[in-house]
Amino acid sequence: MKILLIEDEAEISDSIKSYLKSNDIICELSTNVEDSIDKISNYNYDCILLDLMLPDGNGLEILEKLKKLNKTEGVIIISAVETLDTRIEGFQLGADDFLVKPFHLSELLVRIQALVRRKNFNGSNLVQFKEIEVDVLAKTVAVNNSKIELTKKEIELLLFLIGNNHKVLSKSVLAEHLSGDMADMLDNHDFVYAHIKNLKKKLHEAGSNDYIKSVYGLGYKWEI
Amino acid sequence: MKKLLNKTLFHYTVYTILILLVSFPFFYWTIQKLYKEDVDEAIELRKKEFLTNTLPTLQISEIGLVNRFNRDIQILPDTIQKQKFDIVFEQTFYDSLSPEWEPYRLMYSKVNIQKQPYILMIRLNLVESEDLISTLIRLYTGILLVLFVVIIFVTRYTSKFLWQPFYDTLAQIEQFNLEKHDVPTFQKSNISEFEQLNNSLGKLISANIQSYKTQKEFTENAAHELQTPIAVFKGKIDTLLQRSDITEEQFKILSALNDTVSRLSRLNKNLLLLSKIDNQQFNETSTFNFGELIKKPLDFFIEQAQSKGIKIETSINETIIINANAGLVEILVSNLLLNAIRHNVTDGTILIELTQNKLIVSNSSQNSQLNTTQLYNRFNKINPSSKGNGLGLAIIKKIADLYKWNIDYNFQNNLHQFSVEFSKI
Repeated sequence: MKILLIEDEAEISDSIKSYLKSNDIICELSTNVEDSIDKISNYNYDCILLDLMLPDGNGLEILEKLKKLNKTEGVIIISAVETLDTRIEGFQLGADDFLVKPFHLSELLVRIQALVRRKNFNGSNLVQFKEIEVDVLAKTVAVNNSKIELTKKEIELLLFLIGNNHKVLSKSVLAEHLSGDMADMLDNHDFVYAHIKNLKKKLHEAGSNDYIKSVYGLGYKWEI
Repeated sequence: MKKLLNKTLFHYTVYTILILLVSFPFFYWTIQKLYKEDVDEAIELRKKEFLTNTLPTLQISEIGLVNRFNRDIQILPDTIQKQKFDIVFEQTFYDSLSPEWEPYRLMYSKVNIQKQPYILMIRLNLVESEDLISTLIRLYTGILLVLFVVIIFVTRYTSKFLWQPFYDTLAQIEQFNLEKHDVPTFQKSNISEFEQLNNSLGKLISANIQSYKTQKEFTENAAHELQTPIAVFKGKIDTLLQRSDITEEQFKILSALNDTVSRLSRLNKNLLLLSKIDNQQFNETSTFNFGELIKKPLDFFIEQAQSKGIKIETSINETIIINANAGLVEILVSNLLLNAIRHNVTDGTILIELTQNKLIVSNSSQNSQLNTTQLYNRFNKINPSSKGNGLGLAIIKKIADLYKWNIDYNFQNNLHQFSVEFSKI
């Protein structure tokens, strides 16, 4: 998968690049509007990550250009500025998602995957990992083709873990993904443990291998 | 507190009454003196008349006749001993007709009738003069009273008219809200004092708005500028966590850093949220069912509460429709519920009630009654060791204020109770 990362802050683009690289996502970097427009005119990408505040202009110009070029790339805006106006304007100009800085790279990764899945949508939206199959739209999970009962939260957790295959995810990252903005206000993230335990149990009972590994009791990792 | 006009009128009244009281005896005395002088002159005139017209031809035998037909001019024998002659003085006589003692001005004079010494007495009754004086005084009082009434009315009328720009300015200032930064436009006045007042107020308000704006901009800019470094920080930790050679000790440190940066980021987001509400960036409102909005995230809170053994009871009226920014109301509700969970005790309770016009969240806690004076201030933490950032209640208050909802804290039956009185449509 090849994506275009438009971001002028080198430290951030470095982190994103190295995080996505191990998931076979190649990032091409652009640090300004001019270069970005050049790139989108000449190449096709699976997805575009777009920062709005760029040294030579506003990232929204790039969205306008994409529209003009009739490009169908999915765009995720990654911005430190979040106002209702920029959000609405971004979506109106064809952005697909909006992620406010600071975000976890694991969160970014699953958002990219979800977006690419949606864009390549051809009747079904399936996530497959070995014997496990998740129908994202119908919100059903099957192990070896037999459906199992998972709660909404457990499906979210499963998708997040599979998406971040081979990645170490701390409890707080999982908590933030599951509870959105409210996670870091909570005194403890024990509820993550409960969800993981239930998910593990249900997958095991359905005959799946145990892919969820604990990392020093502080995090988890989806791994063969 | 007294109104300015009433105070003016009060002073007018007091001084008018004082002047009336003081001037009255003086006036009375002056009038009386003038009248007496008049009467005395009349007596002198009568005497002169008598001496020139009557006396030269008067016979002693006619004295009885003169005395019989004149009450006020009498010729008396020279037997009365008087020290003073030809001087008018006052004396009372008994009047059998009235009947009472009446004051007279009178004068004795020595005359000779056919070379025999006699005494001439001329007197004038002062009764008429008293009538006159009392009439004059009534007139005087009347004029003063009319003047007084006129002054009051004129003052009332002109005050209203003259002070109009002042009251207008006053009303404008009362309406003024620094957070809404709309500069009041004062009425032009041709009275220099008021114009001066308006100008000074205008300058003062502009300066205040300016410094308020600067301060707000600073908060917003600072929060925005912090987002990028925090993002870098977060990204680096995420990257570091993925290294295969990481030890348990290092992982623990990184996890702790991760939690800290999350708190920092939340703190920053909340500061941004506060300044966004200040900057009216949540003007968009919609009409929605309040009960449903509360129920939507309830599963999450019940789950959170369960891990502490807290029981959540609800009594939610699902027919309440309100108009507000749904996002903000969600924030208000979740902040209230998170506080209720965070400050609760193990196996405690939370009661969520939504009535016709109130949302009430009560919870058990180890804290005793909270001090309400600083409750809604930023960074006022009830429990300094808690993970909260001290902005929760400030945000709740800010959102409530935005919609002019009333927020109230009560401590009853060992339950902390926050109630939000909202306006339905």
